[in-house]
Amino acid sequence: MPVTDKRHQEVVKKIKQIMKDVSTDLMLERTMPVLDVPKVGYDNTVWSEEKKMLTIGDKVVKISPDSTKKIPTFTQYLVMANAVRRLLDEEMESTIRGMYYATLSTVGDEKNKQKFWRGQDDSDDAIKAIELLTGVPREEFSVTSKPKGMISGPITLRVGGDIIDCNLGSRATSQLIPTNIRDVEIVNVNADFVMVVEKDTVLNNIRKSGFIQKYNAILMTGSGEPDRATRMMVRTLNEEWKKPVVVFADADPWGLGIALRYKIGSESLSYDSDRLVTPNAMVLGMMFSDIYQYQIPEVARLAASEEDINRALDMKKKPWFQDKQWQKELDLFLKRKEKCELDAFFKHGFKYLAEVYLPQKLRQAGVI
Amino acid sequence: MKPKATAEVVATQKSQNVPLSQSQAVHRGKVKYEKKAESEFFVDNSALAGFTGERILYMAVRELIENSLDSCESSHILPRISLSLKTLEAANDLWMITCEDNGIGIPADKLPIAVCSFLTSGKYVEKQQRGLFGVGLKMIAAFSTKDTDHPLKVWSKSSEDGSEHYFELRTDISTNRPIVLIKKQLKESEGKISGESGFRIEAILRARLSPITKGKIYDYISQTSVVNPYAVLEFETDEGKVVFERRTSVMSEPAKEVLPHPADMDLKTLKKAIMNFMNQKTTLQGVLSESFQKMSGEKAKEIIANAGLENKLADKYNEHELIKVVNICKQTKFHMPNTDHLSPIGEEILTAGMTSVYTIITSRSEEASGGNGEPSQPQISVKVLKPSLTGYSSRTCVINNRPTIVECGIAYGGDISSFKLYRFANKIPLLYDEGSDVAREVVSEVEINKMGISKKEVKEQFANPDAKSDRAVELLPLHIFFHICSTKIPYKTAGKESIASEGELKRYMKACLSDLYRKVSAQIRKELRMKEAQSRLNLYKYYIPLIVGAISESVSVDPKKLEETFTELAEKHVAGEITGQPLKEKEDEITGQRLEKEVEIDGEIIKRDKNQIAINAARRKGAKSKPKNKSVQTTLDAVMQKKKVK
Repeated sequence: MPVTDKRHQEVVKKIKQIMKDVSTDLMLERTMPVLDVPKVGYDNTVWSEEKKMLTIGDKVVKISPDSTKKIPTFTQYLVMANAVRRLLDEEMESTIRGMYYATLSTVGDEKNKQKFWRGQDDSDDAIKAIELLTGVPREEFSVTSKPKGMISGPITLRVGGDIIDCNLGSRATSQLIPTNIRDVEIVNVNADFVMVVEKDTVLNNIRKSGFIQKYNAILMTGSGEPDRATRMMVRTLNEEWKKPVVVFADADPWGLGIALRYKIGSESLSYDSDRLVTPNAMVLGMMFSDIYQYQIPEVARLAASEEDINRALDMKKKPWFQDKQWQKELDLFLKRKEKCELDAFFKHGFKYLAEVYLPQKLRQAGVI
Repeated sequence: MKPKATAEVVATQKSQNVPLSQSQAVHRGKVKYEKKAESEFFVDNSALAGFTGERILYMAVRELIENSLDSCESSHILPRISLSLKTLEAANDLWMITCEDNGIGIPADKLPIAVCSFLTSGKYVEKQQRGLFGVGLKMIAAFSTKDTDHPLKVWSKSSEDGSEHYFELRTDISTNRPIVLIKKQLKESEGKISGESGFRIEAILRARLSPITKGKIYDYISQTSVVNPYAVLEFETDEGKVVFERRTSVMSEPAKEVLPHPADMDLKTLKKAIMNFMNQKTTLQGVLSESFQKMSGEKAKEIIANAGLENKLADKYNEHELIKVVNICKQTKFHMPNTDHLSPIGEEILTAGMTSVYTIITSRSEEASGGNGEPSQPQISVKVLKPSLTGYSSRTCVINNRPTIVECGIAYGGDISSFKLYRFANKIPLLYDEGSDVAREVVSEVEINKMGISKKEVKEQFANPDAKSDRAVELLPLHIFFHICSTKIPYKTAGKESIASEGELKRYMKACLSDLYRKVSAQIRKELRMKEAQSRLNLYKYYIPLIVGAISESVSVDPKKLEETFTELAEKHVAGEITGQPLKEKEDEITGQRLEKEVEIDGEIIKRDKNQIAINAARRKGAKSKPKNKSVQTTLDAVMQKKKVK
């Protein structure tokens, strides 16, 4: 605990420094204070060839009460920073929704009353700004979101003081990956590799088939867009525990995007890539070519939407997609304009995915 | 089965479709020719004088007030008029209307005819005047006779008589003659009229009063006070009494009688002119030059010559010869008609009216209802709307050969909270048919950007959920007044409630309104800027406490002082942006003055010397980011990477 307390102190110190800078600007220099918040988004995301991941650029957004439009934002950031400090002082933890409620208020007088937050999105943005201003991810200051990542297999976690063996009952159920990662510790890993799938439905099917026991694997899913705890867990298993990581997602640009969250990161979290991204992860499927190789019947294929096509065209230009194999896959998609979900393998029988497709793919990649 | 059933229905319908028979017989009979008395004609066609069922009381109020004002103004008496409109018998829709003024009164010998006989008036001359040519008062008398058994009671103290007379009158509608029930000269002690002269009338009328008409009566009285701010108007109803005070003792010059303009001549006017010189041995040249304006002796001679006639005694011409004179006059160019006989409201008086617009407010007092469950009696009171700015503009023009003066006034801001268009013709408020009035067209056609603001700005700054229209100008807190005065107003309809866009009238009205928009533009722009600055200041006022709260909870700093300096800074910031002065200079000046100062934040004394300030200034101007702890990190710092999860 003293270690974490020290981390807390650092965060509190950083928040106090922001407050001090603002007061100095106001009281001593008599100027409008400015918060320089690193810009997050596609126009400030940079591909690092060296790290093989998306990183944040050097653009900043200046938030200052000298502009009428920015007064609310500036205030929101300071109010949120103060709320985080209070949370840490009280040694409590909160979800992002909890922070929203803790800081709810109204602004203005009787005649002209407005809500301080227009909605939770505003408050989520403020939390993100505190992360960017302090350089500390929110999990470090005990602000978390609802867990949605799942894990099953030969891995033992310590959450708080309790041991959780994720191998227990791993044929029947999975464990939620806690989002308060500060309290989570990996005690032991006995698996040979880690397999991440896009959706929980697919994970359930694979787990039930006895895949974990047969191949000594850890099964994980982010249930769609993975949260940070899930991404961080994947990275830790690869970087710290040296376990190979394979990723399977649907054969469509959307699923491919999710697989890439694990491998190269995302624009909206580019500032935190160093903790979240697993560059060594292998995206093995489902390839567009698999649709035809494994003879997914036409009835189980889906027509690509215009959005899918645009996404694929966009992807083709990205520096991390210049690999010949990937270009071929995208060309195939653009030509056939067909996509497919992993679930489509059920058409070949309920065990086909776990007992035929996945082992073949893993063998090709040399994982098993 | 079903299709068959349907077919049957159709068949039945067809069989019922019997062709229409032309069975109405046309009855033919002999046409009876009768002469109708003027009084009977007007009673039967009361709509001609505006006395239609719904508007009877409104018209009565209007006629009485206008007669009173005319009576006072003709002798330069500052008017004091009391009007009362009260329910007499609710069951029978009977109302008692009373009007008293301090005008010149009517001489006792002429009074019965002046009150009761239609088409008897002192107003049949070419002159700008309010009245409806001697019909109004007679209508009240006739309606009172027609609908009730009450006599019309009249007290009159004429400056000619010197003593007060009392009459009880009714109208013999079939003969247009007054019936005098009582006529008596009153002693000093019996008199009702306190001043040197005056007139008082008490009439009982049968009418219904809808809330709309009641509103129009209130509007009429308050608008009358706008153009007659030199009059005291007392108005009493079942809902209470209100007084519109005199705001100025300046009265406009009364309108004068004027000779007709020759371009307006017709056979009738010419013959009438000749009749006036009957037996005076005057030549046609003399008659023309004496009877028409802009007609010199030379010009008259020229016209007679051009008509191919000899100049002889005026009564020696026949109609065929006279029409030639008329025709020549129509073809000849004359000087513009005179305007000095008109009586505009004038800048001083209209401004006095505009700066104190009275409105009648009806309110229900809460106390009166008591709790016995009965609805409380509404109570009327007046509210004065003081604008922050007024403007006046006028144009003189000729419309249909009649000299016309267009006056326009504008009142902006202050107590005025919404848009309103006021229309007046010869000092009478026009309350109906606003939609078809030329003034309405003028208001929608003059571009609002003449005021220096765009429609968009208006819509943003003056958004008003209560506004009836979403037209930009109607969102402004603005009153626009139009007054047209002329010897003949180009009314659109017989109802005389809206003015037609005749000749170049609209162009002149637009010119006046444009003048005024320009006049108020500076003020409106200033107000807009202040409004904007105020909303910015409010924003600071709302948010600063939250910022100060967040800071002072986190670090120990004097919250009061922090709030003060922040507020001061915000005010300077807002002011700096308004005047367009660069804030930087001011700022440096302030910082310069405070060089010796220091602040204690979180137990740390923070000082700045000149060098530091210079560095900070440079940082603000040039540097992209602050060289402080807030420096940008491309990825999260190394501390995090070191963290091992074991």
